[in-house]
Parts: sequence; structure tokens; C-alpha cells
Amino acid sequence: MSLLERYTQPAESQLPTVSHMGEIPSGQPTCTIWIDGKEVTAIPGEAILRAAQRAGFDVPTLCDDEKLAPAAACRMCLVEIEGYHRPMPSCHLPVEPGMKITQASDSLFKLRKQNLEYILSDHNAYCMPPCQVACPTHIDIPGYLQLMSNGQHVEAARLVKEVLPFPYMLGLVCPKPCQEVCRRGLVEEEIAICQCHGYTGELVMEMETAPTPFPQLPATGRRVAVIGAGPAGMTAAYYTALKGHAVTVFDMMEKQGGIARYGIPEYRLPKVKLDKELNSVWQLRDTEFKGGMMLGRDFLIDDLFTQGYDAIFLGLGAWRSNELRIPGEDLPGVIEAINYLRMNSEGNPVPVGKGQKVVVMGGGFTTFDCARTSRRLGADVTVVYRRSRKEMGAHYSEVDDAEHEGIRLEFFASPVRIVEKNGRVGGVEFQRMALGEPDASGRRRPVPIEGSNFVIECDTAIPAIGQVPNLDFFEREQGVRKSKRETIITNGALMTDRPGVFAGGDAQMGARTVIECVAQGKLAAKAIDRYLAGDDMARVAEEIAEEEAVPELIDIVPYKPEEPQVRMPMLPFKEREMSFQVIENGYDKAGAEKEAARCLQCVCPDVGRCHLQRLSLEHGLTDNRFHRAEPVDYHDYEYDFSHDFILRDLNKCINCTQCVRICRDVIGANCYGLMGSGYDSIVTTPWNVSLSYTDCVSCGACAETCPTGALMMRERDLQTYELDIVRCIYCGDCVEVCPHGALGETPNFEMSTYARFGRTVLAKEELAVARTWKPSEEIPLDGHNAPRPPEIRPPGPPRWGA
Amino acid sequence: MPASAAARLLDGHASGALARARDLPIDELLELIEKSNLRGRGGAGFPFVEKVRAVRRNADGEPIYLVANAYDADPGSPLARTLLTRNAETVLAGVAIAARAIGATQAYLYLHPEAVEARAAAERALAQDLEVDIEIALGPGGFMGGEESALLAVLESRRAMARQRPPYPASQGLRMRPTLVASAETLAWLPPIVLEQARAATKLVSVTGSVVRPGVYEVALGSQLGEILAEAGGASGKLKGIHVGGPTGGILAAARTDTRFDFDDLRVAGTHMGSAQVRAIPAGTCIVNEAATLFAYLAKESCAICVPCRVGTKRVQAILESTYSGLGRDTDLAWLDELGTHMERFSLCGFGITAPSILRTTMREFADDYRIHIQEKRCPERICKPVRSRRYETMVQP
Repeated sequence: MSLLERYTQPAESQLPTVSHMGEIPSGQPTCTIWIDGKEVTAIPGEAILRAAQRAGFDVPTLCDDEKLAPAAACRMCLVEIEGYHRPMPSCHLPVEPGMKITQASDSLFKLRKQNLEYILSDHNAYCMPPCQVACPTHIDIPGYLQLMSNGQHVEAARLVKEVLPFPYMLGLVCPKPCQEVCRRGLVEEEIAICQCHGYTGELVMEMETAPTPFPQLPATGRRVAVIGAGPAGMTAAYYTALKGHAVTVFDMMEKQGGIARYGIPEYRLPKVKLDKELNSVWQLRDTEFKGGMMLGRDFLIDDLFTQGYDAIFLGLGAWRSNELRIPGEDLPGVIEAINYLRMNSEGNPVPVGKGQKVVVMGGGFTTFDCARTSRRLGADVTVVYRRSRKEMGAHYSEVDDAEHEGIRLEFFASPVRIVEKNGRVGGVEFQRMALGEPDASGRRRPVPIEGSNFVIECDTAIPAIGQVPNLDFFEREQGVRKSKRETIITNGALMTDRPGVFAGGDAQMGARTVIECVAQGKLAAKAIDRYLAGDDMARVAEEIAEEEAVPELIDIVPYKPEEPQVRMPMLPFKEREMSFQVIENGYDKAGAEKEAARCLQCVCPDVGRCHLQRLSLEHGLTDNRFHRAEPVDYHDYEYDFSHDFILRDLNKCINCTQCVRICRDVIGANCYGLMGSGYDSIVTTPWNVSLSYTDCVSCGACAETCPTGALMMRERDLQTYELDIVRCIYCGDCVEVCPHGALGETPNFEMSTYARFGRTVLAKEELAVARTWKPSEEIPLDGHNAPRPPEIRPPGPPRWGA
Repeated sequence: MPASAAARLLDGHASGALARARDLPIDELLELIEKSNLRGRGGAGFPFVEKVRAVRRNADGEPIYLVANAYDADPGSPLARTLLTRNAETVLAGVAIAARAIGATQAYLYLHPEAVEARAAAERALAQDLEVDIEIALGPGGFMGGEESALLAVLESRRAMARQRPPYPASQGLRMRPTLVASAETLAWLPPIVLEQARAATKLVSVTGSVVRPGVYEVALGSQLGEILAEAGGASGKLKGIHVGGPTGGILAAARTDTRFDFDDLRVAGTHMGSAQVRAIPAGTCIVNEAATLFAYLAKESCAICVPCRVGTKRVQAILESTYSGLGRDTDLAWLDELGTHMERFSLCGFGITAPSILRTTMREFADDYRIHIQEKRCPERICKPVRSRRYETMVQP
């Protein structure tokens, strides 16, 4: 009996089912076949694939379901069989005694990989958004962009604040690692991701109380001290407070913000608005700020424990500038970068003014903050960097802007000494560099060129080649250690050797970007909460490592119509002279929504369950050769989200026909078929109507069997269905068709409800009450009525009346 | 052997054949067929008697079916409808003899919906007593409708989609029963075989393109391509190539007129009998363009069940189109070769398995056309107009 015939036979004459444990029923005649040289016991007539799977071979397949007649459509399970002159589908070919089968070989691997490349080239969808992976805080970027494009800006801000409490600040100062990998860049130009959350952040600042991602939990009675009111500390304080712990934030400066306030100039980040955003922390219950208190000067860690704090977070920042270590560095006129920025932002006089010549050495953000600040004070500024523009740490937009503002850039030059003139700085002598071999960071190491020295004259020299934390007071501390690089040593859960003392941000990593500090603040808050709950911190560290592991991404062929980026309105370069006015003017509502709508939404709810994703990763298919051709080469289908329980996204369909077969042969509703012709064929409903207009019984078998995210169960909104007892004729049809056994028949015919939330069977009395039950009434979920997160993805159906 | 042989099919007669076959014991009938060396005229050239024996082996007393494929999938090769129009009696007598040979309870004459004349002729011929119930069934139109397993799906009221073989129709065909699927032309050989112990030595061929008298001819198997063209009055101008085998067949250089028109010789030449269309391609035709046009047709006609054929034909079409649009690269030829190998190895039915012969033959015989398009960015015949402004690019994960 062949496999096709098997499904037309009455049940009793079908092949006996082999148990999932791989046991073959006793008395069943078996035979021996060889797979990859291994002897395998199989039942004559069963699919080769089935025997191989039972023997532990992982034969790739995308269209096979044990319940269904084979289709041999996906061509992934093809194996080489002795005696056949071409590879044959193992799902379709029955076992014959003595078969010699090769299921894994280099040539099969290559052909299967080609096959997957074809499938992915017509799979107009994505698995994971690279932006979310690249962002240190992992903001749900497609999620908030979708909300923004719907005009739900407060909801968008709440979604961002789940991991990033200060979207406005980061909208202005973030180096945008997300945008560098944005897939929209494959179409034409990346999304202005940062500016978009900047817009929502600015918008919600106008609200009386800033929205929180979740309601603040009831007070736990625990107290946490956060040292440092910079990005890391404030983030840790925010999430710790949301967890219900009381938080006190100490800072050596009088005002909050840390390096974001004192190190980032006004033209990049206006401090009035920064304060407004940071104040969202103080709007939470049991939070307080103590300015002018410096750890190591005014108190020690021990003092905090004595005062009754249960945990401490050290977000001390990196305030000490690295030295150049060249002769003449102590001459008057050589000024420390961070100190300079701080004095300027506090409104104190600085030794830079109109007509002066300033040389700034370095290529990072601080370099350009110093240079552009000096330029705004009227100085004639030169930035000197020892490598090329490409290697600069600052964002390219910052470098370009600096050049446009009239700052000279000098590359491939390294300072060798400060030249003295009249007892103070008269210039800096540089030596030309050439790029040599790449170093550990992957950047090519500069190599000096002999005899190429030259002097740039100046009145002020600002070395800005990085900062380190100031941890001198550590000598007096117990149980916390620092590294050779002057950073605090912690474990993976950001806890120092002293239990209850956590550290993060620049003080733990060395000077890094604001967003990385925020990410650490978020992780630290999580770790502190777990510490206070008494959890094993080694386990927490493992969990964090697992969560932060970078997943592999597959490059699927995108097809989207082109749409250029909405330009951020910027302050004209002319108006930037002698002015610290903020240069990014921010989007307006229409601009922000238009830009957010450009997002490809390159995210799939089926990630992790999708067999196409798994096989593609297994076959190393990270890039695809069929990108960027004409629109006729790809398909761009409309979604069908009109059904109450099943989401259909034809863009993800790979024509495996599993849904066709299961709906026709197992369920009997026969809703799907392969429609259209040739390359444009697609599995859909007749005339491509909404699934609601077919004989669909909402069983979900199609979604269950779909190997990709083309068919998915929709999150159920209802916990129980309204049954009109008056109209029910007790036919039992619903009981019969339900493939999940959610409905049962008893002598009295009771109806069991969807069991997800713990309620199973309605008693007769309840059934009677059910007649008057209104599904619109709010039902408590499992005893706590936390509000449901907004349903944002996949996008919902058009609502009636919306 | 001269091209024109006795036209046994187009002008033959069948009177008495059925009666003679009825008198023959089945074994002798099969022996006669075996001796005639009759190979399937549908294109693959499978020995007919083997198929008959396979069906007989699978017989178990339950219904057995016979399907005479007179569909003419290739619109350029109307062999079956010509045969039916001219000599329906012979075809139907052949159907009846084959039905007797396998013990079929029901036979179908499977026609293209547009073959109106042939259908009328068949209906007239059906008036005679053929001792078997022959029903005329119409296909859906389109290229895939003629594929042997797709036509079974059509007869089962399903979409014309190919099915993986094995199992072959001889063991599980129509309604999962043993079924003999044979082309009308093959079956038309049975009356002369029964009556005269004829050897199946001629083949219908459709000569099209740049010839003086395009049309359907009956030629001796093994004739040279040049002789076949001469049969149709010879080329009507200078030729560039000869396209043999229909939409999935390869294109040979015009100089290869000595290639023998036979199942095995054509395979050696890189193409196949297929729909037995011999198309004379005139000089001044760009072969890259020609190949792209063929693949565009295939991408439209694929039944879409298997990935290599559904997506592969489209991708190959696009690569060929970008090549003649001046976007080709040196690496494209190796790439096409790789895609061709994949299509040939991994496709489900003959459609995808044979389609790469277009790539193989044109890249071998018309390498200059590809080279000039790719390297000099111009058309060798100065006729190609760019149809694409973008080609496939490899994008590396950001």
C-alpha cells in the first residue's frame, strides 16, 4: 500500500501508528534499511521520513505533518536512495526492505540551501528586527513605531518606557546603533528611530504626570540607595521604584542628570527639558533626590547600610579625563575636557572666547562636544584625530555637522608635545600617522611616520581622548574591587563582590554611550529586585546572559515601495554661531507619524517557532542573492486579519499546502486551496475572501500546522463564548468538530469553555446564568486585574466604527 | 532514412483492427506491441508495452482506467488534435485495443478545451461500437494540464497539479486505481501494429517558425533535423537556431541539422522529444532574449506545487532578463548553471526537470550571445530592449 493510498483506506486497514516513543507495536512486521550507513528498523510501507525521524535523523522538512497525506511540495526532505537516479522526497516514498539511503551529504545540503534561498526570496516578511537586537536596551522599536503611526503617541511612549525611561533625552543624544542596522536601509534609507521616540518623549512631558509602562507596584518596604543621578543611576532608580521599593538617589552635584547635564552641551540637550523628563522619576512614590552628596567624601557604602538601605547601586560615571602623557601637558592653557564642558554648562566662565585658537584632540563624542562648544564661544577650532574619519567614535552626523559649523578636521596626526610660548600653551606638535594592522577592537592601529612632525598654533589645547571613573576613594571601601582600567568589577548580574552592592554605567564599563548606561541601569534594577527577593544571583546572571545573547538574523528579501526619510528640522548652520540653541528642532505630529509609518515592521510573532527560520539558520542562510530586483519579482499581499481567531498573512506563505490538506482531510471544512497560476500561485481561500466567509470552524488546525507565521492563532480576547441557550438545539456538532477537545458532551450536555484562564466546565446553574452574561463585562484575570498590554502586533482588524 | 515515410498515422486506416485484436490472446497482443518497438509518443519515450504490463500486474479485479492524452499542452504543437481531426477512427480503435490489453473498464479521451474540431471528429468516431466506454474529458487549458499526473488530478476535479512519482499511474492513477495514461499518438499505433505487425517508426512533428510551410508532419524517427525542416519546405531565410521539444526543450545551433530526431539522440544533444515541436529560429534572434521568453512562459505555467519550479523558473527568467537588459555580470553564467542543476535535481515532475535544458543548450551553443550581452553590454543582434532597471543583488545582513 502506498502512502497516498493509506489516507483513502478505512482506519482499520491503515498502517499501525508507531508510538511517539518510537516503539513499534509487537507483531508488526518490520524490515531493515540503512540510513547514512546506520541500520534502521522500519515498517515496510511507512514513509522513509518517518523511519528516519524515529531513528534520530533530523531530516529537514517544511510540508510534512504525520496526520496528512504527503505533498512533496517543499522539496526539503529529498534524500538520495540507491537505485534512484535523482533525489527523492522521503515524506512520499514508502520504505522497502533493504533500502540504502543518504539523508545528509554535501550535495544535498547545497541543494536544500538553494531551495531555502528560493523560499525566502518569496517570503515577503521578516523574523526579527535588527534594530531591537542592536539597541542595548532592546526597545520594541517596530511596536512603538506602529503605535505612533496609528497616532497612539502616549501608548508608544509607554512601550518605550518599558526599557528606556527617558525617550526624549536619548532621542537627542543617542548614537543610534539601531539606525545603522535598520532594514529600511536596504530599501532606501533607514528610519529616524531615535527622533521618533524623541517626539513621543517630548509629547508626554506636557502631561501632568508622565505615563509609566506599568503601574507602580505596592510598597515592598525595602530601601535602595542609588549613587549618581546620571543616565544609569536614574534608570536604575526608575525601575527599582516601579517595583515598589523606596529609592534615594545621591549625587555629588547639586542637580540631577550627571554627565548628561554637565557633559553634554545645551545645544544638543536643553537642560530645562532634561529636568522635565528626569522628574518623571520623582513623580513615583517613595523616591527622593539628595544632591551635593559625594560617595567617598561625604559618606561611604557602610554608612548607607547602617542607615538601613537594603541594596546600593553605584552609577558613579566617568568624570576623569585621560591624560595625553606628553611633555607640556601641565602648561596653563591645556584644559580638561569634562571640566570644561561642566564649567560651561553651569554658566561659569571658561578660558575660551572669540578669536581664540583651540585645538581639540580625539575623535569621540566628548571631542566634538568640546569643539562645537568652543566654536559656539567664537573660537577658531581644529579637531585632530590620529586615525581617519571612518574610525571616529562620534556619530558621523556629528562629525559632518561640526565641519559645516566651521570646525577644521585634521586626520592621521598624533600629539607628541605641547609647545610653550610665554609660559603657556602656544601650540601642539603633531606627528603624522599611517594606518597599520587592525588591533583587538578591529580598528586599524595608527603607526607614526618618522620626520613628519608639524605644529598647530593655538591658545588652548583640549585633550579629549576618553574618560575613566574616579575611584580613588575605593581604598577606604570594603568588599568592592576595581579593575586596572579603573572600573568597578561586577558579575553578570552587575553585583560587586559585596552582596547588595551593584554597579553599572560608565563606572562599570568605562566611558560609553548614554544608551549603554541606560541599558545597564535597567538590568541593575532587575538584578536588585531579584536580590531583594532573595534569588540566587548566579542564576540571575545566567538569565541576563541568556536574554542578552545576540540572536542570528536571517536576511530575507524585502519588497516595499520606496519612501524617503522625513527630514528632521535642524537649526540652520548660520544661526548656530555664538548660540547654544538646541539644533534639533524635533518632528511635528504629522512628520513623526509619517516617519514611524515607514517602518517595515520587520518582526514576526512566530519567531522561535517558525520552521523556515530554524532551517534557514541551520543551513547558514544569512544572506540571500535575490534582493532588490523589480517589484514583479516579489509578492506583496494584503493581510487578512478579519477573522476572530486566525490571522492570515499571505506574504509569509510558502505554499507547503499543509493547511489545505488539514482543513480538507482532517477537519473537513475545506477552506483553503492553491489559487492563481504559476509563480503567482498562493494558498488562500476561494476568491481570496476573508476566512470568515468560508466554512471555517475556527478550530485553528491550520494555524497549528503552518510551518511559518502565515497562519497564526490570534490572541483570544474572550474567555468564554456566549451561548444562546434558547437557540442551541443540542446537536453536538460543535463538540464533534472541535479538534482540541475543548467541548465535551455529557448526559446533560454541558459546555466546557476555553480552559486557558483556569475555568473549565460550566455547571448547569452557571449555564443558566450564562443566558444573561454579557461578554462586555470585565472579568478579573487570575485574581489580579492588571490592565492588558495594548494589542499592537500583529495589527488588529479594522474595528467597527473606528 | 528519408524524412517522409509512409504516413501510417495521419492517413492510415483502422478497419478490422479491433476485431483482429479481439481474436488475439492478450499475450500475443502484448508480444506484437513489444515487437513494434512502440515508445511513448508523449515525449518521454517510455516503452509502451512495459506500461501495459505494469498496469496488468497491478490489476486486482477492481476498476482499471485508461486515459488517452490528446491534450496538446504545447500550443505550438497541435499533434493530437491534427491526428484526431484527420484520423479519429484510428485513435479510438487504438484506445479500444489498449483498453482490451489492460482490461480497462472505463476510458477517457482527454482533450484541450479549445480543440473543437478534434472533439467533433472524436464524437463522430465514438458512434461506432468500440466495446469500451470512452468518455471525452476536457482539460483546463494551459501547459500543465497535459502532464500525466496533473491530468489525473483534473479528472478527479482538482487543480491541474503534478504529483510525485512513484507511485506511477500504472499502480495508482485515477482514483488511486491502476491507470494507463498514454498519448493519443501512441495509442494510434495499435491498429497498424495489430493489423500489419507494423514497426512504430514514424513520429508526428510540428514544424514551426521560420519555414516555408509550417505544419504537422509525420516523419521517420531518426530523421535529421535538416530533413524535417526540408519536409516543411525548408527554412524561409537564414536560421540561427533550431528549438526542439517545445517550451521546456533546448535550442540547438542552426548548423546542427544533422542531429537525429529520436528520443535518445535528442537527449544526447541536450534536449528532448517533448512536444515534438521543431521550431526554426531565424537569424537576427537574440538567444538570451529567447531563453528569457521561454522561462517567462514557464514561470507563468508552473503548477506551483514544488519550489524549484515555481520560484526557480521566475528567478531564472529575471536573471536572463537582466542579462539582456545590460545588467549581466560574469558570475551570472555559473549562477544560472547552479540554478539549473538545482531545478533538474529537485523538481517534482518533468516540467522542472527538463526546463534547464534551455539554459544548458543555449549557454553551450550560443555562448557568444551571452558573452556580448554581459561583457559588451549590448545585444548581439541589436534587438533587445531593456525591460529591467534592477537586477538581483546579494544583500549582506546589516
